[in-house]
Amino acid sequence: MTAPVLETERLILRRPDDRDTDAAIAFLTGERSRSVGGPLSLGQAWRAHAKMVGHWTLRGFGLFAVTEKETGRTLGISGPYYPADWPEKELGWHIWDAASEGKGIAYEAALAARRWAYGDLGWPTAVSYIDPSNARSIALAERLGARLDTAAERPDDECVVYRHPGPEGLQ
Amino acid sequence: MTAATLQTRRLTLRQPQASDLPAYAAYCASERSHFVGGPFTEARTFDRFAAMIGHWAIRGFGRYVIVHEGRPIGHVGPLAVHEGEEVPELSWTLWDAESEGHGFATEAAQAVWTHLSKDLGWSEMLVRIQPENAASIRLAEKLGAERTEEPAPDHYHGCLTYRLTAKVPA
Repeated sequence: MTAPVLETERLILRRPDDRDTDAAIAFLTGERSRSVGGPLSLGQAWRAHAKMVGHWTLRGFGLFAVTEKETGRTLGISGPYYPADWPEKELGWHIWDAASEGKGIAYEAALAARRWAYGDLGWPTAVSYIDPSNARSIALAERLGARLDTAAERPDDECVVYRHPGPEGLQ
Repeated sequence: MTAATLQTRRLTLRQPQASDLPAYAAYCASERSHFVGGPFTEARTFDRFAAMIGHWAIRGFGRYVIVHEGRPIGHVGPLAVHEGEEVPELSWTLWDAESEGHGFATEAAQAVWTHLSKDLGWSEMLVRIQPENAASIRLAEKLGAERTEEPAPDHYHGCLTYRLTAKVPA
């Protein structure tokens, strides 16, 4: 399977690999991973990163590594995600690097990933599962036009579901 | 760089792919996975298999799926999860009972160890086995692995540790 490379004004989105391992582990073992069930041990973090990478092979899509065009640095992950226990297909995102927040990086990446999911993958709809205490992530979902969907099935009782406007709503 | 595929007399060893998931899931849902902490839910199974595939992309080597007459029957190969452990492990598993008793695991594990030690010059590997897994212990001994007194790691409580050491050519 050949994964695409998406280019935006400031970012390159590509399939994650070993170039992202150190940044992934720093995030997953640190305090910033609370919203995804962290902090994890080193071994758990490594496996979690490997799982993100392998998801691409099993599904033909996955979370992209979001890298800074200028430096090549990995700032986080963003993109389509559908593990076995998700009720429906998700657009997920995590900005790993605290210094990259507040610059519209996550928005820029999520827009590109959503366009790819609707265009190339042909998704008719998409949700984002968000920890209700994660105000920054909720603000991003709303900026993307997603709205709280209390009727949607959830993967667990902890999260809330935001539903994105469909492809036709974005023309 | 490890070989993408290895061919033995009866088996093909190749990288895991999406079409292997149902056979792997049947193994994970069965009692056969209890040596590695199973049985596992469908969600955990998906994550474990994704991580097995991701290991290849990250490390450049990983566990092969053992294919016999076109059917995936198990996995075998090196793994090195980031836990400060420098010596990689060699592991093997047959996914269903009917694949046992034919020497498939031995044939597969020998091919991988020969490739890693002879072709790539790996000098040693660890094999971690639960003490009640007699078939695996026999296989480890057949490969020439020696029992060590090394304590079990956090991720695999209660296991015995064997060490494979490459024979230096005279």
